Amino acid sequence: MIDFFRANQLYIVLAIVLLIWAGIVAYLIALDRKVRKLEQSLRKD
Amino acid sequence: MLKHMATSFQSVAAVLSKDVQSELRVRYAINALVMFILTSVSTILFALRYERPTPTLFAGLYWVVVFFSAMSGLSRAFVGEEERGTSLTLRLIATPAAIYAGKLVANTILTLLLASAVTVLYLLTFPGFSVQSYDIFVVTVLLGAVGIAAATTILAAMIAKAQARGALFPVLSFPVLIPLFMTVLDATDKALSGDDFGEAFGDFQVLAGYAMVMIAGSALLFAEVWND
Amino acid sequence: MKIVRAAAITLVTLVLVAGIAIPMTASPKGWLEFPTIRGLEQNARNIFFHVPIAWTTLVAFLVSMFYAVRYLQTKRAEYDIRSVASASLGFMFCFLATVTGALWARFNWGSFWNWDPRETSIFILLLIYGAYFTLRSALESEETRARLSAVYAVVAGLTAPFFLFLMPRLMGGLHPGSKDDAGGNGPVLDFKMSPNMLTLFFIGLIAFNLLFVWMLDIRVRVGMLEDYRTRHKD
Repeated sequence: MIDFFRANQLYIVLAIVLLIWAGIVAYLIALDRKVRKLEQSLRKD
Repeated sequence: MLKHMATSFQSVAAVLSKDVQSELRVRYAINALVMFILTSVSTILFALRYERPTPTLFAGLYWVVVFFSAMSGLSRAFVGEEERGTSLTLRLIATPAAIYAGKLVANTILTLLLASAVTVLYLLTFPGFSVQSYDIFVVTVLLGAVGIAAATTILAAMIAKAQARGALFPVLSFPVLIPLFMTVLDATDKALSGDDFGEAFGDFQVLAGYAMVMIAGSALLFAEVWND
Repeated sequence: MKIVRAAAITLVTLVLVAGIAIPMTASPKGWLEFPTIRGLEQNARNIFFHVPIAWTTLVAFLVSMFYAVRYLQTKRAEYDIRSVASASLGFMFCFLATVTGALWARFNWGSFWNWDPRETSIFILLLIYGAYFTLRSALESEETRARLSAVYAVVAGLTAPFFLFLMPRLMGGLHPGSKDDAGGNGPVLDFKMSPNMLTLFFIGLIAFNLLFVWMLDIRVRVGMLEDYRTRHKD
């Protein structure tokens, strides 16, 4: 595994970009959940 | 102006002497802290036995005990006032600045006492712990104690208003104190390995700057925490 | 904000594509080839992603501290909402900077974590964010929570110059600009890149900061609505 990454360093770059993307997506999902909660509490009345 | 300064100095002294007196009357904190230090130092002794740690490791072992005993000692600075309901009286008789200054001095003295107790215990019980440059060591402990008290006094006032006080204090203090610790560890390492006084001068500048920034900032912000 | 959004999306896309697609050669000809940096090779591309993320962390921290000060001055709930929003984004970026940095370090310096000064300072920031949110969860009254967490943000911010600028200077480390890096220009600013890499790097800085501004705006709007909701319960 480590040898593979050493030989193909571009995949590390890919992994780093994917990590950043995953972080932003996770944040968006949390935000989405916040908005949904708001919507539900508004719909109640 | 002079008269104003004199009265505020008096109220600082009053807050300080009130703290010292109520502490001496109960001795709750002091007894607990002495036991805390004895327990932690003997645990390290059991673990080390005949090992001879390097100065770097000794510097770490020294400040770990000082940090955690200071954490349990200093967290009580304002919690007691809230629990006994004396914070309201204190608010009436003294300005926030005077209370902050009084508590800061009290905390500095307490931290210095803790550090001296740990130093004496280490010197007596660890054969390998020998301070080569006492000048560096004394200045480091002095500046370190002032820095710890400077950074944590306002945090102690904050946790008095929160839930889970005991657990919260180290959590809040540790990130703020890391710059101080890294510098203090470096300087203690130098003191234990016998460097010249001049070599630790950069560390002392950082420590003094840290203490000054934290005291100035806390003095400005303290009223925000203290007044409801 | 529409312009910010358009610019953020365009520039981040541009940096992602250009940062990966532009080939690297030993003797670059023209604008569309990067020089190979010895010891880094393809990993040099991480400069366009990891470094802007780390910078955005710092920007978010400063923005959060700025709004904390504004809150203490005015006591308007709006500033508390802005301060928390920025802190929550800063926490995310801080986490990303730590993880991507650790991954890169594993393949360039040999291990995930080396306690180099820059790694130490991002670790301290992570702890500060953790402590900040722990403090907020331990305070029940809204007003006290806003006030005390603002004070903590400022107190923590006061220590920032020490771990960001002073300690990297005092200690040796692996990042560019550490004490024993002879050719370094300083702890933060050190650019030994070719002009086209430098340009893309700066576009990356701007792109991720614009992305931060856009995300902050959304987060603030949600926070404002939540605040409005709790104030008008029925």
